[in-house]
Amino acid sequence: MGPETILSHLHRADGSATYTYNGYSIIGSVNGPIEVPRRDEHAEEATIEVNVRPAVGVGSPKERHLETLLHNTLRSITLIRSIPRTLVQITLQIRSLPEGEAAVGVNSSLTLLPHLLNTAVLALLSTSVPLATIATSVLVAVSPKAPTPLLSPTATELLRVKPIRSIHVFAFSGERKLLLNESDGAFSVNEWDEACEMAEEVCCKEGGVGLGEGMDVDGQQINMEGWLRDVVRRKVELEQRWRTAD
Amino acid sequence: MATATPAKPTPTLSFPRPIFAALSPHPFLQAHLTSTPNTPLRANGRTAQETRPIGVNTDALTHSHGSAVVRMGNTVAVCGVRGEILRAEDAASSSGSLSSTADSSDDDDEGGEEEQNEMEQLRLLVPNIELSTGSTPAHIPGSAPSTLAQTLVTRLRALLLSTHLVRLSDLRIAYTPPANPDEDAEAQEVQVKGYWVLYIDTMFLALDGSAFDCAWLAMLAALRATLLPHAFWDEELETILCSDEPEKAARLRLRGLPVPSSFAVFEGSEDGEGVEWVLSDPDAFEDSVCRESVCVVVDGSQGKGLVRRVEKSGGGLVDRENIKVLFKKGMQRWKEWEKVLEERK
Repeated sequence: MGPETILSHLHRADGSATYTYNGYSIIGSVNGPIEVPRRDEHAEEATIEVNVRPAVGVGSPKERHLETLLHNTLRSITLIRSIPRTLVQITLQIRSLPEGEAAVGVNSSLTLLPHLLNTAVLALLSTSVPLATIATSVLVAVSPKAPTPLLSPTATELLRVKPIRSIHVFAFSGERKLLLNESDGAFSVNEWDEACEMAEEVCCKEGGVGLGEGMDVDGQQINMEGWLRDVVRRKVELEQRWRTAD
Repeated sequence: MATATPAKPTPTLSFPRPIFAALSPHPFLQAHLTSTPNTPLRANGRTAQETRPIGVNTDALTHSHGSAVVRMGNTVAVCGVRGEILRAEDAASSSGSLSSTADSSDDDDEGGEEEQNEMEQLRLLVPNIELSTGSTPAHIPGSAPSTLAQTLVTRLRALLLSTHLVRLSDLRIAYTPPANPDEDAEAQEVQVKGYWVLYIDTMFLALDGSAFDCAWLAMLAALRATLLPHAFWDEELETILCSDEPEKAARLRLRGLPVPSSFAVFEGSEDGEGVEWVLSDPDAFEDSVCRESVCVVVDGSQGKGLVRRVEKSGGGLVDRENIKVLFKKGMQRWKEWEKVLEERK
């Protein structure tokens, strides 16, 4: 039910991940820690550089804005002080967007942002850059046509409940701290609060349950932290298979 | 010199203020905030919640349709709105669907879905940000627009479109063909002959933090002051003409008054342990020291406070309860803004 992932499949990059979910497909690659250009060098901490490449064409101001948001968030979860005077370069190439994405009529950079962030975290995990915590991100959409806010809706679901009143992106750290929030539209404080609570529930469900147990009755509910743990567990198993082999 | 004062051993090393700030900005701000525990003062002399006074002056530029100069402390922005006519046949989208929706009333306070799409597709609102030479030390003149400028433009444009601030009916140039006596009056339909495209250029004369707030305020004040001449379709010349009678010119009827408030979050120690301070309306120095930032956009013009946008990134110190407090602070700021902008009317 969670996003499909392939880890460390690019051979020239230090770490990489491909993330496919709800029609979004993004390749993330990380090089680092590498040498930093003199003007970007920090004496006490590592420099993080994020490049977002759109599916078609070259980057625009919209991508610059996404890069700024990702940069701020990733810098807060990376132990940049343990690798000073280095550069961690993160490149996120969007491979495909879901069909009908442009017709949804909401800010398309917000619908893309949680997927970019999840890809970046996966790629950082694959590189084994020292991280203070993990981050998981989810999209919440509120529409007068839907009784409850929609959690990580697909493009078709969004089309069905048009017009969408507000759209929210939340990212939480492993310690349930709110790392990132981008909300757009028209909403009350209570609506925002409800959306935030739902997102927190999905992003960091208690108990470290496996992927199968995190699912709701109708199979819609996803558990992002459980999903990420599962991905890491499989990665570690793969790396440690020489030990368990007979 | 030192031999003359044997009474007390002086502290081993001390710096004047600006050197301390330049050498170790984080301890500098922390020393300020912790030196008076009851009323923590920032390095700029304000308390944590205190914002800078706003100064707005409109219609300073004569060659634009609307303009404003806004000052918040040492942040100064000039905004000019210039309307240009886009002919319907040059518009990118199919013109067939446009004429059918032309007479639909959009006087409601919530912009319709189609209106939003049309506005975005035709790019009728074009905001731009420029940093003037010397506005901030970080800005290198003569180079391509910096990441800061590009990010600001994206945020401004997104807010402009998502708040439905400008009505499409104000920008449409419609034409009703004269009634033909042979035909039914019902058959006469309004045709859209063109659109006003608003080029909203904002230039920072000086940039000392809270760039987004200042740019948005300048844009809002300029749009409120915008006076577009009456444009009409001339049947004989088959072109759009503008009337030069000043009484026929119309102002834009903006929807609501969305007001952003920026906050910077200062963590007590560099390891993230200890107390944190949420600083309202941060200046450039505080912006450079603080990692985490929050921006809330609220609109109280319809009686109840409505949130239009929340942007928070850079760390996990501000939680859900803190943000709810920031919504309240945003509403206070909204009242300040409303007062300043109403005075300019």
